[in-house]
Amino acid sequence: MSAIQITGITKFYGTHRGVEDVHLSVERGEVFGFIGPNGAGKSTTIRTLLGLLTPDRGSAEILGCDVVSQGVAARAKVGYLPSEIAYYPEMTSRELLEYHAGLYGIKDSGARMEELATYFELDLDRLIDDLSYGNKKKCAIIQAVLHDPEVLILDEPTGGLDPLMQHRFFDLLETLNAKGTTVFFSSHVLSEIQRMCSRAAVIRDGKIIAVEDISTLLAKQMKKVRIVLEKGANLVLPNGVQNPTSSGDKHTFDYVGSVQDLMSWLNEQSLLDVTISEPDLESIFMNYYQR
Amino acid sequence: MNTVLYLKELKRNRKNVLIWSAIVIGFTFMILAIFPSFADMGEQITLMMSKLPEEIALALGVDEATWSSIIGFYGTYYGIYITLLMGIFTASTGATILGKEERDGTAEFLLTRPISRARIVDSKYAALVTLLVLIYAVQTICAVVGMTVFGTEVDWEVFVAMHVHGFVLISFFTGIAALLGSFVSPKVNFMGPVVGLIFGSYFLDAISKATDAVSFLGYVTPYHYLKLRAEGGALSVNWLASVALLGVAAGALYAARSRYLKRDITG
Repeated sequence: MSAIQITGITKFYGTHRGVEDVHLSVERGEVFGFIGPNGAGKSTTIRTLLGLLTPDRGSAEILGCDVVSQGVAARAKVGYLPSEIAYYPEMTSRELLEYHAGLYGIKDSGARMEELATYFELDLDRLIDDLSYGNKKKCAIIQAVLHDPEVLILDEPTGGLDPLMQHRFFDLLETLNAKGTTVFFSSHVLSEIQRMCSRAAVIRDGKIIAVEDISTLLAKQMKKVRIVLEKGANLVLPNGVQNPTSSGDKHTFDYVGSVQDLMSWLNEQSLLDVTISEPDLESIFMNYYQR
Repeated sequence: MNTVLYLKELKRNRKNVLIWSAIVIGFTFMILAIFPSFADMGEQITLMMSKLPEEIALALGVDEATWSSIIGFYGTYYGIYITLLMGIFTASTGATILGKEERDGTAEFLLTRPISRARIVDSKYAALVTLLVLIYAVQTICAVVGMTVFGTEVDWEVFVAMHVHGFVLISFFTGIAALLGSFVSPKVNFMGPVVGLIFGSYFLDAISKATDAVSFLGYVTPYHYLKLRAEGGALSVNWLASVALLGVAAGALYAARSRYLKRDITG
């Protein structure tokens, strides 16, 4: 049984497309990345999983519970960290977390709450209205993990956190994941996906355009190539070149294709210097995005 | 119903219910406290009011009974102001009790907890009914105390009928406002429409009484069926209209609930 199983979900807002025929499967214990530009359908997908939106077509399950017909059971297993934090301003963090625990039917959350608040250096007795965005985010992180969920759904989780707190947050995720928690990690910050996730899906224009192992994504035969030619040498770029830029005799481009073909082509050039490097995830993502 | 959510909702509305209760209590005691002064001038005022055109007096809900007995005097103000004030509080709360979470962005927090939307709505409705009963009961108790202190002879049968009708009216307006709230963006400020709904209904009824030409207007307002003042010294509960209008209020709440259960929360 998958931790998250999305089967052909389609959601339109009137005539405006949210997502279309989205299929995804996240295995138990996996840290799964979800990448896409603004408006691609990430939030629609997450909101559908959480029962905030009802899909026009298709279905989704969390640990075998249908998110529409068994939404309560599905949400009982989920911890959700939203990208935008909106809590009750008249409450303190402690009151909010106690309210949260009460809604989950947890009676003795105090010790865990204190432990997490100490870990994230959050004053539980300050009004939420008086907290900085970063501290609200810490409160949101604590509520997401307080009830020991089996599945964590994180939407742009590190926005507002300083580097130290980001580091602690990732350490916490690693600890929870080591205990078996599945993490669904939606982010724009691709270095975070690269660091945390074993697989990722790329969504664009409401459709999933790739689901890959991160290592496969990184090794996706795309290389960043930088060459310096002898003065006056003629340059005819090979097939598979993207984003070429030139400055005098220095040329830079991304290459997608056979490495052997690239080496053969380089062998035919009057080279003074050559650098071939692995692209970062962002370049790969942009490569997908621009297709 | 979810007890945690129900108590949270009551706590969230605590300040509002205290303020509105204080206003209603103050107004009730003020009306009853000034009655003895008016009673002393009863003949002069009756003479003065008799010079008013009959249509205007009817529209204002003023007649001889207004000045001759404490229940008549109280009824005039109960109809115009007290039910209006209580109705504004309960109807504006009813209109926003579901949409407020969306407006404030907290719906995402609440609706992602393991509670069905039906239980969330039912818990909020339970809190709404509690608030309505609370402000109504507090006002009624204060009125009983005030009547006893400032009145000499009180027709309790009229008082009971008046208050049963008052309860039905504020329940009716609360239900209708909740239904309206389910159709309109949660960002809309509901105070204006709610005041318009209640005032409009009251004055429609008043205008319908002023002249036969527009008497048909009265049929569309609940005030037409539920009198708040004794006519000819008597008033009894209109049970048929009371049950029917409570039924309409319950139906409106149910319709609002059904709409909310299917609503997409887009953030």
